[in-house]
Amino acid sequence: MGSQGGFGQSKEFLDLIKSIGECRSKAEEDRIVLREIETLKTRLSSPNTPKFKLKEYLIRLLYVEMLGHDASFGYIHAVKMTHDENLLLKRTGYLAVTLFLNEDHDLIILIVNTIQKDLKSDNYLVVCAALNAVCRLINEETIPAVLPQVVELLGHQKEAVRKKAVMALHRFYQRAPGSVSHLISNFRKRLCDNDPGVMGAALCPLFDLITIDADAYKDLVVSFVNILKQVAERRLPKSYDYHQMPAPFIQIKLLKILALLGSGDKKASEQMYTIVGDIMRKCDSTSNIGNAILYECICCVSSLHPNPKLLEAAADAISKFLKSDSHNLRYLGIDALSRLIKISPEIADAAQHQLAVIDCLEDPDDTLKRKTFELLYKMTKSSNVEVIVDRMIQYMISISDSHYKTEIASRCVELAEQFAPSNQWFIQAMNKVFEHAGDLVNAKVAHNLMRLIAEGFGEDDDAADTQLRSSAVESYLQIMGEPKLPSAFLQVICWVLGEYGTADGKYSASYITGKLCDVAEAHLADDTVKAYAITALMKIYSFEIAAGRAVDVLPECQSLIEEMLASHSTDLQQRAYELQAILSLDANAVEKIMPMNSTCDDIEIDKSLSFLNGYVQQAVENGAQPYIPESERSGMSNISNFKSQEDHESSTHALRFEAYELPKPMLSQNVPPILASSTELVPVPEPSYVSDILQPATSAPSGSDAGPSELRLRLDGVQRKWGRPTYSSATPSTSSNDAVKIQNEATQRDSVGMSNSKARDVSYDSRKQQVEISPEKQKLAASLFGGVSKSDGRQPSSSQKVSKHQNPTSDKSRAAKAAAPDTAVVKTPQTPPDLLDLSEPSISSSAPSVDPFKQWEGLLDLKQDPTPVSAGGVGSTETSDFMSLFTDMSLNVPSDGVAGTMPNVINGNGLGGIMADHSAQQLNKGPNLKQALEKDARVRQMGVTPSGQNPNLFKDLLG
Amino acid sequence: MIHFVLLISRQGKVRLTKWYSPYSQKERAKVLRELSGMILTRGPKLCNFVEWRGYKVVYKRYASLYFCMCINQDDNELEILEIIHHYVEILDRYFGSVCELDLIFNFHKAYYILEEILLAGELQESSKKTVARLIGAQDSLVEDAKEQASSIKNMIAQATK
Repeated sequence: MGSQGGFGQSKEFLDLIKSIGECRSKAEEDRIVLREIETLKTRLSSPNTPKFKLKEYLIRLLYVEMLGHDASFGYIHAVKMTHDENLLLKRTGYLAVTLFLNEDHDLIILIVNTIQKDLKSDNYLVVCAALNAVCRLINEETIPAVLPQVVELLGHQKEAVRKKAVMALHRFYQRAPGSVSHLISNFRKRLCDNDPGVMGAALCPLFDLITIDADAYKDLVVSFVNILKQVAERRLPKSYDYHQMPAPFIQIKLLKILALLGSGDKKASEQMYTIVGDIMRKCDSTSNIGNAILYECICCVSSLHPNPKLLEAAADAISKFLKSDSHNLRYLGIDALSRLIKISPEIADAAQHQLAVIDCLEDPDDTLKRKTFELLYKMTKSSNVEVIVDRMIQYMISISDSHYKTEIASRCVELAEQFAPSNQWFIQAMNKVFEHAGDLVNAKVAHNLMRLIAEGFGEDDDAADTQLRSSAVESYLQIMGEPKLPSAFLQVICWVLGEYGTADGKYSASYITGKLCDVAEAHLADDTVKAYAITALMKIYSFEIAAGRAVDVLPECQSLIEEMLASHSTDLQQRAYELQAILSLDANAVEKIMPMNSTCDDIEIDKSLSFLNGYVQQAVENGAQPYIPESERSGMSNISNFKSQEDHESSTHALRFEAYELPKPMLSQNVPPILASSTELVPVPEPSYVSDILQPATSAPSGSDAGPSELRLRLDGVQRKWGRPTYSSATPSTSSNDAVKIQNEATQRDSVGMSNSKARDVSYDSRKQQVEISPEKQKLAASLFGGVSKSDGRQPSSSQKVSKHQNPTSDKSRAAKAAAPDTAVVKTPQTPPDLLDLSEPSISSSAPSVDPFKQWEGLLDLKQDPTPVSAGGVGSTETSDFMSLFTDMSLNVPSDGVAGTMPNVINGNGLGGIMADHSAQQLNKGPNLKQALEKDARVRQMGVTPSGQNPNLFKDLLG
Repeated sequence: MIHFVLLISRQGKVRLTKWYSPYSQKERAKVLRELSGMILTRGPKLCNFVEWRGYKVVYKRYASLYFCMCINQDDNELEILEIIHHYVEILDRYFGSVCELDLIFNFHKAYYILEEILLAGELQESSKKTVARLIGAQDSLVEDAKEQASSIKNMIAQATK
């Protein structure tokens, strides 16, 4: 036995682990692992290697792959080992293949046969191992090969096998719903299994099925409620208890299912109220698992048909969560709040919730912060949009994770578009979003912004429009100086400056053109921006010419134009030539080509080109061939279709047989000239064909039928939201109503504005001056939440009441908060000691100075507490009538009276003896000081422990 | 549904990985890199959850080991936290006050235990007794086999002496 190390592994393996643990660098580790791979390669392929050695090599191979190295050369050996007769080897083989292979791996086909054989085995452990592999490896193609056997196993005498068979079927259902659709009734049947484990497993597939189609399972509501009731009443065997809660995992699964079944169904919901209420009352809110159930209850209540009592209980539970010191609970509280707020918005009125939410918003924990933003996103109204979006933008600026940045940017845009109180605000908000996340937001947003600026408030309020535009121009001129701006934002800036830069006469043409040149020169690599800039120049110059002023082209503009004339991009060339041509025209012509302020004018397009009729007529008369539409040239069309398909497939190499698209800018000369200003709404039609932004431009002038309506920016209805209430057609506007609204808006804006600036202050020095924050926080709360009740159409008096109440209560809650730490300290000892959380930082960090053995003693003392509980659980002979419950259900008689009379075979004492033995063993095992010492001695013998004097087992030895 | 289970040491060394959703080797390495960077740097008092690529990762630290599970957005985080604890308790009973060394040297046993608790990304068995019974049955088989093996080994050793 000399070669055996202390952990049942060979010396070689221990040495490997040891040397890897002692590595100083990644390179050193890689070297060792590569050497190991070489060794394994030769050993595994050598025909003389004994089988039990093979098993160890395979485990070493698993270890190598876990370290991130390629072990694919050994996969085949794992597959081979699954064929072995010896269960020990077979099990290792199955473990290795489930870890090595994905379900689409080629080698799987070699395993299917073995799996088939093993599923028929007499030894249930073999069957279990095979079923584990089935869950991981069987894909859509191989399902039929094992399906009949798996179904057969649903009736196996061992509950472990039945359970795994249910899970396997569930997996099949996830992979390919069609393949097992005829077997779904089996899941219902397994719900009535004698074994609670099998029943619990059957809940997983049923949950999936009910998610898809709840109506087909409404008949099970009674059964589920009954099961849940019995679980909550501790009718399940004691071994399912977890931290003194009866089968909590099964309870949670059932609550999830009930939530689905009761959603939007009053009748079904009514059947569930009692049990959900009972469970909420019984939950032990000092343990984690109790809170998990409580949270699931809240989720369930929020999806059931509303019931005032339950909602109240849920609100209570939420406020407990929010007040908790644990970040986990506060996180769940926020999440629960956002669920409940949908069905009972008044919950947000509670002052203590508001303060808790703001605390979470300012918490340094990112996860909590994001969850809070999610809540705010859900409760945004037109009254609080400014504060919320402002907050979101601040946060967006502060993070670097692009995935989340994109998400929050698009949320900002969505909220701003939906609820913006004024156009000016909208532009400001959009500017910020663009400035910091411009490359991440959808291109459509840029078009929306341009369109908003162009269309303004509405037709009859020109003064406001002009003001809006000049404020936009002003803000852009300021922002332009920033060194790094996203391309999409620059495009908007160029367009707006070109269109409105000189409109109000505040800035001279040469100033604006100078700025535009700067932009173009600063972004030499970005053709789109350059194209926008040069078209903007063209507009400025033509407005100048049309107004009869002399144009003097700045030298830098001149050089820019010359550069563009020689550009590689034909589009830029085209634009530069057009600009040159316009510069040489007289005022009249230019006014025709580029009328002032014509962006919003509709361009009429003569799709049939009727103005050419005369010309065509003449040509035909002169003997030209008449035009035949493409549809009539049937033979031709097929070929060309075919070709075009091929063309798409091999787009880069093949010759194009179709005509090239007409170059877009040409249209500005053929078609009525106004078009030029409208085509600029979209980026340059570069010869890089199908970018979806291009589509509006290409489809509009060419007049294809289906195109425009689908591809255009969706702005329908948007303006109405932005505009003042007067224009919204939805309200049957009476003038008094409007007046009130406007007034409201004004006052709100004032208050919000104030709190806005305050809020910003808070975020800057919130950490320093905790005490002074509270009034500001309250203000923030008022601006966030106060609006909610108002906009919900409550009576003004009630909303006043809320705000009046707010001050005292919130003060109180602050006071309570101050006192909170004390109570928390008192509370902690009450919670049952965490079994394994023994050497949390607090302990381990104090280690160096303490004698390690003393430390263990301390740890072990802690441990002794919970063990008796579990041992007691094992020893007691719980006579559960669980089986009878299921027989009841299958008879569809939901009564408990019968239950008691049924004899109980399954959960009786038959197993008691074995269990007692086990528990005795475990008692020995758990808090055994001697064993731990032995282990340590062993470790030291092997020299694995690092040089430190402190042989602390719980410290990472490989550090 | 649980998409994967990771055990990472405080130094970022991987101790156990179990994937319930298909990930290629490359993706696995990337996931490990990203998550260990995210989780190991988090402070002690923060939430045990992180949002990651539209999923949530629930983690808990035991001594120097981080146990992580990746779940869907709408799953119950606290429940997952308790599933982790459930697993650790079973490991603790099995190894007798488990430590990281046990998991390093006997990582395959940790896998066997995990296979009895989670299957196809769902909680398969919430009774510790049932899990212990199954693992016990498997181990008794192993003992038999080991006796056989060692007797063979002795024979070989004697023969080669």
